Amino acid sequence: MDRPIYEISSLNHSYADKTVLAIDHLIIQAASIVGLIGPNGSGKSTLLKMLGLIERPSQGTIHFNGRPVGPFSDEARFLITLLPQEPFLMKRNVLNNVAYGLKLRGNSRNVTNRVHEAISMVGLPFKDFARRPWYALSGGEAQRVALAARLALRPKVLLLDEPTANVDAASAQLIREASLRVRQELGTTLIIASHDWQWLYEICDEILHLFKGRISGTGRETIIFGPWQELEEGKWGKILSDKQQLLVPKPPIQEAAAVIDVLSVGEDGPGIAGKNIVLSGTVSRLSLERKTGQLYATIFVGDLPFTVGLTYQQCKEHDIFPGKMIFIRYRLDHIKWI
Amino acid sequence: MDFLLEGFFQAFGLLLSGNAETYSAIWATVRVSSYSIGSSLFIGIPLGFCLGYFDFKGKKPIRTIVDTLMALPTVFIGLLVYAFLTHRGPMGNFGLLFSLPGIAIGQTILALPIIIGLSATAVESMDQKLRTTILSMGANRRQLFLSSLWESRHGILAGAIAAYGRVMTEVGIAMMVGGNIKWHTRTITTAIALETNKGQFGMGIALGLVLLAIAFCVNVSVSFMRRRA
Repeated sequence: MDRPIYEISSLNHSYADKTVLAIDHLIIQAASIVGLIGPNGSGKSTLLKMLGLIERPSQGTIHFNGRPVGPFSDEARFLITLLPQEPFLMKRNVLNNVAYGLKLRGNSRNVTNRVHEAISMVGLPFKDFARRPWYALSGGEAQRVALAARLALRPKVLLLDEPTANVDAASAQLIREASLRVRQELGTTLIIASHDWQWLYEICDEILHLFKGRISGTGRETIIFGPWQELEEGKWGKILSDKQQLLVPKPPIQEAAAVIDVLSVGEDGPGIAGKNIVLSGTVSRLSLERKTGQLYATIFVGDLPFTVGLTYQQCKEHDIFPGKMIFIRYRLDHIKWI
Repeated sequence: MDFLLEGFFQAFGLLLSGNAETYSAIWATVRVSSYSIGSSLFIGIPLGFCLGYFDFKGKKPIRTIVDTLMALPTVFIGLLVYAFLTHRGPMGNFGLLFSLPGIAIGQTILALPIIIGLSATAVESMDQKLRTTILSMGANRRQLFLSSLWESRHGILAGAIAAYGRVMTEVGIAMMVGGNIKWHTRTITTAIALETNKGQFGMGIALGLVLLAIAFCVNVSVSFMRRRA
């Protein structure tokens, strides 16, 4: 049976009396890959800081391997490491930056070998980069050096906050590969906050949607964020970039987020039939969920991405491929508000 | 203008011949400034770090007080320290009046707000991401403190130089608390003041040149340390 590496109970965190994170209960299994998805300000980075023992929650407890932990906990501080969104390198060369954590942990054996291995893992040639000062690195290189500094620690838990957000495509790919390699080789638990949904869908065992500091879903729901407007009397929704109307029931507040469950895809539409709404969209990507073998299509309706779970048979039947125009159907009375 | 030129020649003569009175004042200055800067760094850096690093109630008023004390007049410090060290004062029994340790106490009071204020500024301007990075590497409290201190070393060093400059060049405390006693508490600055009053420009200029040389050496050493760090 899987054993939880993290267990969070009644966690609440606030800045200046404003609650930024409120999680009743959350379990993260060891050696799993967990994705955190949510808009800016939804609490992803704060949650990662709590899990990375950088900050202590205002209320509630975090258990790591069954023990309550917080910043400076001896039980966990050598096992967990966080890569923040913006890389920060010490004012020293690449070699010393990557070796910094090892030295901090009193690990003086094989430092050069471990640094060499970590730098190579992120695709940087050791000979060219080891003596390079921090200021002579591009943004992508700096992020890779920062990741190498974490990989050299051989962590049990690696927390990544938007690791590919500010880097070029090649660096992003190398960061993705290195993150997965450490998981494969060391059984490291990966918790990743990213706007790169497709990547998360492909690699994660579990995905958590965060919205306004709360976990609003644990699957592949389509979440559309407010504000909503009253299009006609009693008719709420959004006008999409392609002029289609995305209709919803009356929201509890204008900024509420709607969880829309797409029931089916097909070749008929668009239109409204009772509670059924049909919109036209374009398939932008097909991805395979590694764990279940389920296929997921990302269909852009206007500029909003809808995620639809499909069987292999359905894909074949509707001949779904990226670029194809297709219709999605959802029911107004199935929409949930968060 | 001749007397100035004559003063310069005299100054070099005094320095090169190893004039005992001149070197006594130089030695007294070096000793007393070392005592005062050493103790103010020892007390001031941890206090400055705490003031810059932690958020606590009353931080802003304390910061304002520290900043105000950075401009404390030396004669006022001299007056206060004199009042404390005199036989009638609360610390009269220690016999520190008209002694180098007495001057060092006054100069420590002078340097302390500068060290605290500039260290706090250096720590405050430290990138917040540094703390996250150090903690994410698994640092304990002591390592976090030492690493943060090390990373803000350039700002703290700048504070130390500013304080050293102020201590070396002050006259008020050395004159009032030290009494300008020849061979004993006469420092470079009090000697310059006295010799100028006597019309002896040679010794004054010689001591002034030594002050400049010390300032130059300190700055060169600091630049060297910065390059190495």
